[in-house]
Amino acid sequence: MSKLRFVCLPVVLAAFFQATPAFSHHSNLAYEVTKVITITGVVKEFRWSNPHTWLTVVVTDEKGNQVEWACEGRAPGVLLRAGWSKNILKPGETVTVDMSPARDGSKTAIIARVTKADGTILANAPPNQD
Amino acid sequence: MRLSGIILIAAIPAVLMAQSGSAPPDFSGVYYPINPFGPPAGRGGPPPPPDARKGPPPRPTRSAPISDGSLGRAPNAPLLTPEYMAKWEATRKSRMSGSSESDLTAKCFPPGMPAMMNMAYGMEVMQTKDKITFFSELNDALRRVYLDGRKPSQKVLDDPTYAGYSTGHWEGDTLVVDTVALRDNTYIEGFTPHSDEMTVKERIRLASPDLLEDRITVTDPKALTKPWETVKTYRKAKPGNDELREFACAEGLSEAK
Repeated sequence: MSKLRFVCLPVVLAAFFQATPAFSHHSNLAYEVTKVITITGVVKEFRWSNPHTWLTVVVTDEKGNQVEWACEGRAPGVLLRAGWSKNILKPGETVTVDMSPARDGSKTAIIARVTKADGTILANAPPNQD
Repeated sequence: MRLSGIILIAAIPAVLMAQSGSAPPDFSGVYYPINPFGPPAGRGGPPPPPDARKGPPPRPTRSAPISDGSLGRAPNAPLLTPEYMAKWEATRKSRMSGSSESDLTAKCFPPGMPAMMNMAYGMEVMQTKDKITFFSELNDALRRVYLDGRKPSQKVLDDPTYAGYSTGHWEGDTLVVDTVALRDNTYIEGFTPHSDEMTVKERIRLASPDLLEDRITVTDPKALTKPWETVKTYRKAKPGNDELREFACAEGLSEAK
């Protein structure tokens, strides 16, 4: 495990400093649309950008291992009308994300719903709109 | 006798228009599509009771990036000739592998007609007597429909575009639109390909004061075995939720460099 981490570190750092190429690539991943998984973790970054938003969440498992998920969201315009805002998700806060994972097994997913620690649900569309 | 019948039929739109008070309806406003990608996912709103959060998670939102063909071809999808079905299969394979090669809208290209009428993120209609303009928040795409009786010139026919060249006229309360001069590198819907011979006919009307309906017929002698028909409906935005936002798609792409 520690060996794996050692190998992964440069990749993670590269992804951090050049985050968008990875996001850009991910934005075209095939997702398992018939499946929804749920994670709870801590927000590392929320990128409010077109054509898609990105939420990076770090999940810590029971053994203390940390896994970083890149969660793709809809565009800022539609999310704004759905009740989101540019700064609604702050680094350090805990969130629960319902999402469809990427088919290639990478820690990437497309968001169905985000639930904040106070129970507020951030959906993909305004209540009266699909 | 037969001639008078034809004249009678030709006169019907004028009569309808006269009956409705002669002025055509005003489609102006902001609209949101009804189920552009199928049933909706999770809903927004106040925190649910504690037990509700243990319930089943919502269905995923079927937005553009997940339209990879993994669910196969819908029964009501356009019927393709073998040549174009092979193209669709090749694109499906590419998308399923995670390639972005075929995803033009993710590269910030305009969605093109008729796919742009999905208006996935919202639509703004601007109408004058001589022109009606449809704006799509998705990729900041725009199309103009000329209502003043002009026809496409040879110059524009020789220079196809994503939105194409649209002319329209009123038949009673219905706007009838013909679109030609379309590029062949866009999709009819999903990633269904088409040829440079595709044309689009639309009948647009207010089904009710708050509901705009667009009945679309796509004809393509090379790609389709028969014309494809679909109906899009859009609900008029309510005050407080009636502002479209800038998309600036290229921003995401330029950051990637």
